[in-house]
Amino acid sequence: MDSKLQISVSHETGRVPITVFHLKGDLDASSYKQLETQAREAYQTGARALLLDLHELRYMSSAGLQALHIIFTMLRSAEASPESNQAMKQGLRDGTFHSAYIKLFRPTPAVLDVLKTAGFDMYLEIHSDFKEAVASF
Amino acid sequence: MSTNSTLHITATLDNLATIRRFVTDTAADLGVNQTMISRLELAVDEVATNIICHGYREQSGTIEIELSRQGETLAIYVRDQAPSFDPTAVSPPDLTQSLHTREPGGLGIYITKQVMDTVTHRLLPQGGNELILVKQRIFSGTSLRDEDVAT
Repeated sequence: MDSKLQISVSHETGRVPITVFHLKGDLDASSYKQLETQAREAYQTGARALLLDLHELRYMSSAGLQALHIIFTMLRSAEASPESNQAMKQGLRDGTFHSAYIKLFRPTPAVLDVLKTAGFDMYLEIHSDFKEAVASF
Repeated sequence: MSTNSTLHITATLDNLATIRRFVTDTAADLGVNQTMISRLELAVDEVATNIICHGYREQSGTIEIELSRQGETLAIYVRDQAPSFDPTAVSPPDLTQSLHTREPGGLGIYITKQVMDTVTHRLLPQGGNELILVKQRIFSGTSLRDEDVAT
C-alpha cells in the first residue's frame, strides 16, 4: 500500500458549511506540513468548520498531532473569547468539552491509539457515523 | 528463525516510511501481535524523526535500527552518529495545560515512553547515540502473522 499522504476535499452542508478532508496513507513528519498548509488555505478562503475523515489514514505520528493542534488553534481563534476559554476549561474538567470547529471521523485503531495516548480525544470530537459527524457542527 | 535484524539507512524524512516498514515486517516475523506492531512502529518512527530533525538537523547522516528478540523480550536499538544528546532527559510537555495555551509539538519521546517499557540512552564509544527501547512479554506465542492463520 502506498504510504504517501493524500488529501482530497469535499464539502457538506449541515447547520453550517463544512469542509471535509479525506486523508489516506501515512501522516508523519514528512507529510504533516501538507495537512497544515491545506488547512490554512481552506481557512484563508473562509472554511470555519473542518471534518477530518480518517478512515483511510493508516498511520499517524506525533507530527500529525502537531498539525491537528495547529489546526485546532487556528479554527478556534476566529471565535475565541474569555467566555469561550472559560467554558472550554470547565468542559475539560467535567469531560463535556466538544470541539466546535474541528471533528474527526472514524480514526483507524492505530490512529485512535495515538490520539488517546496524547490526550487529544479530550479536545477533538470523534464520530463513527458520517451523517452524525456532519450534523454535530 | 533469526532473532536479530538490522537496517542501515540514510537519515531523511522521506525514509521514515521505509523505517516503519522494516519495523512492522520484522516484528511480525518475530511473532509480535498486530496491536503491538503498530505501537512499535510508532515508537521507532518517533525516535527516528527526532534523530533526523534534531540530531542531524536534517543534515546528512545514517540511522541503524536493530530489532532483537531475547526470550520474551524485544529490544530495539536505534543508533546514530549525531552529536551527543539524550532525548530521555528532556521534560515532556505539560499535558495538563489546555491545548489552546500550550505550544504544539514535543510529544515524540513522551509517546515513545508510553509505548515501551523502558527507553534508555547511551553514548556510543565511537561517537553518536544509541537509544534502547525495550518491551517485555509481547510475543503472542506463535510466529504466524494474523493473515497466515487459517480461518
